[in-house]
Amino acid sequence: MHISDGVLPISVTVGSYVASAAIAAWSVRRTRSEELPKLAVMTAAFFVASMVHVPLGPTSVHLIIPGLTGALLGPSAFLSIGLGLLLQSLLFQFGGLTALGANALMMGLPALACGWFFQKYKGRTQLQQVVVGGLAGALGTVLAANILAILLMSGGEDFFGVAKIALLAHVPVVIIESVVSAFTIGFLARVKPALLQSSFLRPTKAAHG
Amino acid sequence: MADVINIRMPLWQLSLLVLIPLSAIAIMMVLLRCMAYKHRAPGEDRDWSVPPLADGGGTSLLHRWDVRCKTVTILVCSFAIASLSHLTPALIAIGLSLTILLIAKISFTKVLLRLLAISGFVSMFLVVMPFSVPVHNGDTVLVFNGMDSLVFNLRGLLLAATIAAKAVAIAVLMEPLLSTAPFPVTLHGLSRLGIPEMVGQMLLLSYRYLHVFRHEARRMFSGMQVRGFRKRTELATLRAMGNFIGMLFVRSFERTERVFDAMRARGYQGRFPEPAELHLQIRDLVLAAGWIAAGAALIIYDRMAW
Repeated sequence: MHISDGVLPISVTVGSYVASAAIAAWSVRRTRSEELPKLAVMTAAFFVASMVHVPLGPTSVHLIIPGLTGALLGPSAFLSIGLGLLLQSLLFQFGGLTALGANALMMGLPALACGWFFQKYKGRTQLQQVVVGGLAGALGTVLAANILAILLMSGGEDFFGVAKIALLAHVPVVIIESVVSAFTIGFLARVKPALLQSSFLRPTKAAHG
Repeated sequence: MADVINIRMPLWQLSLLVLIPLSAIAIMMVLLRCMAYKHRAPGEDRDWSVPPLADGGGTSLLHRWDVRCKTVTILVCSFAIASLSHLTPALIAIGLSLTILLIAKISFTKVLLRLLAISGFVSMFLVVMPFSVPVHNGDTVLVFNGMDSLVFNLRGLLLAATIAAKAVAIAVLMEPLLSTAPFPVTLHGLSRLGIPEMVGQMLLLSYRYLHVFRHEARRMFSGMQVRGFRKRTELATLRAMGNFIGMLFVRSFERTERVFDAMRARGYQGRFPEPAELHLQIRDLVLAAGWIAAGAALIIYDRMAW
């Protein structure tokens, strides 16, 4: 769920722009400069994955995959997500340009948290990777839903009801997201374990500075 | 402050009050969607990353406007609209946006798609807020006989309508910003405004490969369907989707390496050629000043009139 234009108070809108710009700058510094074009191409892959719809009873939900993005890209994930959202609001018809900062925080912060969580606890066995991957998927969506609720509540008491509904709407997504992430991580662990290494995108020790 | 104004209504009117707007919104969305898809060119969307061969753009005022002025002005105006807090100025803002749309002479189809994309989020506000907003002094609420806990607060409806109006006004502005110049030119303008050039390059690359990967995903999915895969609400579907996404990542990452090698083999050193030369003229600045003044006037009206 993306926040649309005109919902958040202007101070929160501008504040979240500043915050995301700062985190994006940090994310750029943690990515080697010659890796940036590669990151752009990979962003396209994550974008396509996030358009996949999973059936849920009579309707379907689309994945948001902050957990997977974080697990695979590490600190570069915030940059990738910001880029994806910018692309989405420019060329596809979703998400507003003024709400971009808030949306980037809502998706990017969970991705960073999940990346850290996954790399710290993934262990060596495949089973552990699958379990931690599933947890990271759930964590990503829970965090995203909570940030959405907090942002909405910044509008004042009048928005509390909407924030609650938005939180509730994410409950089925959390479950689906978690299961799909677990399967995806399991697949990658079997097929191309190199992608799950934290050294991915940062093959040399020196970060770009 | 005045007390809460209670208007008592029989319970059956509640269903009327909720059902009529809901069905109106639903019917409007279906109609809009039909219109949008009917006007859409058959086959693929146009790939904006490929520069147009002929100068196929229109000749309206916005097409001729310097891209830097245009971007800054529309961004400033979007933020100005986002900061409005009353319904009347927000409605005026919609009027202004529609006027600009008419001046720019661009197709309404993409605008409709943009409006459809925000309709879900915005209608959630319209439906939820009248019931969830706490009652303050001076509010007008509709209370229904037999259900005293459920009140329909008109202030909530007004608040939600303001939000919806602002969202529509900004969404409508996006199309004149983007479709009155080729996308690479817009990005070039942004980089001339001080946005790092890398951002524009990364956007172009992402956009290009998004189409490639989307085709790949579609091909993989057809393969799955040929092998008998059907989407259902069950664990096996989720497992298949998980593997599908995993495979998509594996293929994309391998392709990423090849793409980057190919770029370097062609001498890529962090720059693409410039797509256009930009010249700033006085009338560009005048237009920008006039437009921003209109935005400022809206804010002043919004703050002073209440």
